Amino acid sequence: MEFPNIFWGVIGWMIFWAVVGSVITRRLYLHKDLDTSNAAFVGSMLGAAMGPIGLAALWLKTPELTNRLLVWPAVGAVTLIAAAFAFADPSNNCVANGSFVASQISNGIILGIIYGFMALGLTLIFSILGIVSFAHGEFYMIGGMVAYFVTTVWFPGIYPIVGILAACLVTFALGAAFERMFLTPMYDGKIERPVEYGILVTFGLAFTLQYFIQATVGANPVKARRFFDFPRLRLPTAEDPWLIKTSRGNMELFDTISISNPRFVAAVACVLVLLALLYFLHRTWTGKALRAVSLDREAAAIAGINPDRMNMLAFALGGMIAALAGSLLVQAFSWLPQVGAIPAMRSFVIVVLGGLGSLPGAFLGGIIVGLVEATGTGCVPDAQKAASYIPAYGMIVLTLTLLLRPTGLFGRRFSGGAHGKF
Amino acid sequence: MSRQHTPQLAGLVLIAFFAVFPFVYSANDYPYIMHLLITGFFYAILASSWSMLAGYAGQFSFGHMGFTGIGAYTTALFCHYIYLSPEATNLCTEYAIGDQFLIFVNPIGVTSSTLSQDCLRQALSAWDGSVQVTAMPVWLGIILGTVMGGVFGLLIGLLVLPLRAAYLALFTLGFSEILRAAISAEIAITRGQAGIELPYLFDQGITLFGRHFDKTDKLPPYFVMFFLLLTCLGILAWLAKSKFGLFVRALREDQDAAAALGVNTTRYKVLVFVITSMMAAAAGAVMAHYVRIITPNNLMILQMSLVVAMAVIGGVENFVAAAIGAIIIEFTLELLRNSFEVGDIVIDMTIWRLVIFGVLLMITLRFSRNGIISPIINHFLRGHVAKETVAKRGAAAESAGGSS
Amino acid sequence: MRKIIVSVAAIAAVATLSFSGTAALAAKCPIKIGGLAPLSAPGAVGGGEAMRDAMLFAERDINAAGGVLGCDVKVVIADTEGLPEKASAIMEKLITQDGVVAVGGAYHSSVGVASKDVANNRKIPVVFAETWNDTITGDKQKYIFRIAPLSSWASATLWKAALLVPNIKKVAILTENTDYGIPAAEETTRGLKSGGVEAVTFGVDIGTQDYSGIVERIKAGKPDYIIVLATGEAGYNFAQQAADAGIGPQDIPFQAGQVALESKAWWENVPDGNMAFVQRIGTPVNLWNKKALKLNEDYKAKTGKGAIESYALEAYDSISILAQAINEAESTDGAKIVEALENISHEGTLGRIYFPYGTKKDPSADGKGDEWWHQWPDPAMTMIQYQKEGQNSTESPIVWPDAYKTGPAIYVKK
Repeated sequence: MEFPNIFWGVIGWMIFWAVVGSVITRRLYLHKDLDTSNAAFVGSMLGAAMGPIGLAALWLKTPELTNRLLVWPAVGAVTLIAAAFAFADPSNNCVANGSFVASQISNGIILGIIYGFMALGLTLIFSILGIVSFAHGEFYMIGGMVAYFVTTVWFPGIYPIVGILAACLVTFALGAAFERMFLTPMYDGKIERPVEYGILVTFGLAFTLQYFIQATVGANPVKARRFFDFPRLRLPTAEDPWLIKTSRGNMELFDTISISNPRFVAAVACVLVLLALLYFLHRTWTGKALRAVSLDREAAAIAGINPDRMNMLAFALGGMIAALAGSLLVQAFSWLPQVGAIPAMRSFVIVVLGGLGSLPGAFLGGIIVGLVEATGTGCVPDAQKAASYIPAYGMIVLTLTLLLRPTGLFGRRFSGGAHGKF
Repeated sequence: MSRQHTPQLAGLVLIAFFAVFPFVYSANDYPYIMHLLITGFFYAILASSWSMLAGYAGQFSFGHMGFTGIGAYTTALFCHYIYLSPEATNLCTEYAIGDQFLIFVNPIGVTSSTLSQDCLRQALSAWDGSVQVTAMPVWLGIILGTVMGGVFGLLIGLLVLPLRAAYLALFTLGFSEILRAAISAEIAITRGQAGIELPYLFDQGITLFGRHFDKTDKLPPYFVMFFLLLTCLGILAWLAKSKFGLFVRALREDQDAAAALGVNTTRYKVLVFVITSMMAAAAGAVMAHYVRIITPNNLMILQMSLVVAMAVIGGVENFVAAAIGAIIIEFTLELLRNSFEVGDIVIDMTIWRLVIFGVLLMITLRFSRNGIISPIINHFLRGHVAKETVAKRGAAAESAGGSS
Repeated sequence: MRKIIVSVAAIAAVATLSFSGTAALAAKCPIKIGGLAPLSAPGAVGGGEAMRDAMLFAERDINAAGGVLGCDVKVVIADTEGLPEKASAIMEKLITQDGVVAVGGAYHSSVGVASKDVANNRKIPVVFAETWNDTITGDKQKYIFRIAPLSSWASATLWKAALLVPNIKKVAILTENTDYGIPAAEETTRGLKSGGVEAVTFGVDIGTQDYSGIVERIKAGKPDYIIVLATGEAGYNFAQQAADAGIGPQDIPFQAGQVALESKAWWENVPDGNMAFVQRIGTPVNLWNKKALKLNEDYKAKTGKGAIESYALEAYDSISILAQAINEAESTDGAKIVEALENISHEGTLGRIYFPYGTKKDPSADGKGDEWWHQWPDPAMTMIQYQKEGQNSTESPIVWPDAYKTGPAIYVKK
C-alpha cells in the first residue's frame, strides 16, 4: 500500500462516526418512541458513509426507517471504503487491472452460488427443527466421498449423475436415520433443553463421521475426474473469439474472465437444483407442509400435517443439500476427511448473514460472502498473508452482522418447535 | 456415616490420592504417567469450566480452546519478547525504567538456520557475558494471559450473549478458527506452526518439602496444575452454591421468567462467560509453560471436541463429574493408541479410538444426559431417592446442580 | 441400579488398566527402536502412514537377517500428530514407558526441534529421517543424527533449477505458512535474487481448498515460473486450479509440491499436471540398489501406490542404520551407539550413509557450518519432470543436476 495513512485514516473516521451514529440514533429513536429495530444499523451506516452531516440530518428528521434507508447508506459506506482503498493503493490489481477485477468478481459469484446452496441446507434444518446442525460440513464431505467412490473406484466410467444421486441417497438415508435415532427425544419434551441437545448431538455426529471416514478411507487426498468437458466453442468467429472461447477445462469470456469447468458445472447444477427445490417447496403438498411447519408448528399439526415426519424430512433434506454441494465439488477440489470444516464454518456465516431460517437470505448471503472472500484474497496488498486470512474475511462479516443487525438480511421471527425456547 | 457423605469422602480420598501419588509411584514410566496426569488436570479444568458454562448457564461455547490459546500466547509472547537489562543494547527498542532498560526484542520470524539472531542475542554476544539480562517472571505472564482471556471473554460475551444460544456456538467456533488462522499467518511474530518456545515454569528449579527439584522435574508443574484445578473447582463450587449460581440456573431454565423477576440476564451470562474464559486462559498459560512450546494447532476443533466430549461423558451438569471424566478419558485415549490385529486385519486404534469416542459421546447424550459419572455421585448424594433418580433420567438433571 | 454398577465397573476397569500397564519394565529381548511418524491430524497423515509402513518393513528385514545382538527388533511406532507440543511427550513415552534404545523416523521439522532435547538429555540416539530444519543438527547435540537433507540445501535445488528456465525474470512462489514453507520461500527468494530474478511469495493456510482468488492474483502478475512449497493436498489443489485457470504445468514452467512424487495420487488429483517439475530427494531410481528395488516392490504391493516416496526410504534407512549401529556397538548403550554411528558406513536404500562430522571431527575443522554436525552429506537432490501423462515419478526423466541427468527439460511456452 502506497499511502496507508489515507486508508486507515478514512477507516478510523468511518468507525468513529459509525459507533456514534449507532449509539445516539438508537437512543434518539427510543426517546421519540419510534421503532428502534433498525435504528442502530441505519445510524452506523449513515455515520460511516456521510459522517456528521448525514447523522445530523437523520437526527433532525428521524424519518421512518424504510428499506431504502437501510440499503443506500450501507452501499455508500462500502463505496467509501473502496474509494479510500483506491486512493491509498493506486497500483493494486484491484484498482488498476480491470480484467483482474472482473475475474475476481465472477469467481466470487460462482463460488458464492455454491456456498449459498450449501448454506441453504443448514437454514432449512434450522427453519423446521430450530437447531443448527454442526454436522453440516461432514455431510458435505460424505457427499463428495460417495460421488468419488461411485464414479471413480467402484464403477469407473459411469455417468457422473449416478454418483451424485448415490451421494444424495446415502446422505438422505443417513440424515433420516440419525434424526430418528438421536433427534426424536427433542420433540416430546423428554429433554429439557432441546436446542442445546441438538447442538451437542450434531457436534458428536460430526466428530464421529469425520474420524469414521478417516479410519475407513484413509487420509490420502482423492478426487473425481471432471464430470463433463466443455464443447469447443469459438464465438463470434474462430479467428477472433472475443466473446467466448472454451477448452475442455476452462471457459474464457470477453478475453478476460476465465471460469474453470468444474466450478461452472457445480454452480449451474446448484441453480438447477435450487429451482427444483423451490418448485418442491411451493408447488407440492409435502413442500407446502414443510413451509407450514416452519411458520407455525401447532397450526400445521391441526391442519393434519405430522410435524415429526417433517422434522425427519427437513434434516435429511438439509444434509442431502450439503452432500450434493460436496458431490459437485469433488471434481474441483481434492477430498479428505477434514474438508468439511471450512465450508461448514462458511455456511454458518452465510446463514447468520442471511437471517437464520431464511432461504433467499442464505442464497444472497452466499454470494455476498463469496464476493467478500474474493475481495479479501485479491486486494489485500500483502501477498504472503492475503490468502492466509480467507476464513477471517467471513468472520468479519459475521461479527459485523451480529453487531449491527443480528437478525441478518432477512431475519424473521419463528413460532412453534424449538424456536421459542432460544 | 450416611451415604450422603460418600461423595464428599470420596472426593477427599481422591484429592489425597493425587496429592500423594507423585511421592509413592516410582515405576520406570514415572515421567510419562506424570505427564498424562498433568495433561489430565489441564483437561479437567477445561471440562469443568465448560460444564459450568454449558450445563449450569446453558451457554454453548466452542471457543474454550481459543481461550486457552489466548492465555498461552499472551504469556509466550510476553516472555519471548520482553526483557529487563541493566544496560542499553542500542539495537532493540528499549525504554529506561529507573536504572533498568525495558527491552522489546525484534521478531525475526522462523528461520531454518541458527545464523540469524534477534537484537538481544546480538547484544548478548557483543557483551560476551558481562551483562546479565533478566527475563520476565513467568507468573506475571500467566496472570497477564488470564486477564487477556477475561478481556476477550468480555468482548465476545457482550457481542454474542444478548443473542440466542446458537449464535454463541457459531461465533465461538469461528473465533477459534480465526485465532488459529491469524497465529499461523503472523508467523514473523508468533512463529506459526513452528511453535513458540516458553521458559520453564520454574526456571531456577524450586525447593519443595526440603528437596530441590530441577526445572525439568515433573513434580512442581504437577502440583501447580493440581492446585489450579482445585482452585477452579473451588470457585465453581462457590459460584454454584451462591445466590449468583441460583440466578445463573434460573437463567438457564427460563430466561424470560428470570428477566421478569428482575435478573439482568445478559450481565450474569457475561459474567459466567468471563469467569470460565479466564479459567481456560489460566490453564492454557500454565500448560504452555509446562509443555514449553505451543502451536496454533492446539486451537483445532479436534481439541475442542475432546473437551466437549469429556464434559458430556463425565456429566455436563456436574462440574466435578466433568473433571473426573476428563482425567479418565485422557488416560483411556492414551492407552487406546495401540493397534491390534484381528486375523489379518490391523485395526489402527489411533483413529478408531476417536470414532469409538464420538459414538460414546452421542450415546451418552441420547440415553444418559447426565453423563456416566455424574449419576454415580447423585446416587449416593440423594440416598433414598436414588432409585427414582435413576429411573427418571430426565428428572435427574434438575438435581445435578447441588452435587458439588 | 444396574446402570450404576455397570458404570462403576467400567471406571474400575479403566483405572486398573491404566495402572497395570505401567509397571512393566523394558525387557531385554526384543530390542525396541522407536519410530516417530504423524499418524493423525493435524499432522501430515499421508506422509506418516508411508513412513510407518516403511519402518515396519525395516523391522521385518532386520529380523529376517537375524535381528540385532541375537534378539529380534521391535519398532515401536509413535504418533506425533505433527505437533511439537506432543513431540516431547511422545519421545518421553517411547523412552520411559516403551523402553526404546534408539529412535528413528519423524516427518515435521517442528516435531524434531521439540523432541530432540528430550532424547539428548536421556542419552538416547535419534536418527531423524525427514526433518529438514537446519537447527536440528545445528545445535550440535551428541545423540542427534540426521539423514534428511538440510532445508538450505533443498532450497538451493529449487532456485538453481529455476534459474535454468529460459528468459526467467519473475517467479511466483506459493507457500504454506508453516515452518517448512516460509523459511524455504525466503531462502529461495534470496537465491533467485542473487541470479537477478524477482520473486513474489503467496502464503496460504494449510487446509485451504479453494485457491481461485490467489490463482487469479498470480496470473495477473504474469510470472515466468511457479514454485509450489506446499505439503499435503494443498499441492494438488493448487496445481489443478492453476491449470484450470491457464497457468498450470502445461502453460508455464511449474514446479509442483513434493506430494507430486506420489504419482498415482498426482494423476488422480491433477489430471492436467503433465510437464510439472518436482523436487526429488534420494538417489535417482536408475541408480537404485537391490535393497531399494526390493523395498519398492514390497511397498507397492502393500500400499497399492505407484512407487515408494523418498521419505519412506529415509524412514526405512533411519531404522536399519540404527540396527546396524547397535550390532556394531555390541551394546544398547546410547553413548556406544553414537560412537558406532559416527564410524558407520551403511548401505541403505538411499545409498551409502555416513556421518563425517561429530564429536571426533567438528564441522568447523573443514570450515563447514554447525548444521553439518551428524549430518549425512550426500542426500541426492534432483529435479524430475513429468513428461507423459500418467507417468510414474520413478520413471520420469531427471532434468537437473547434470550429474544425474537422464533427459532434457521441456520448458512449455505461454
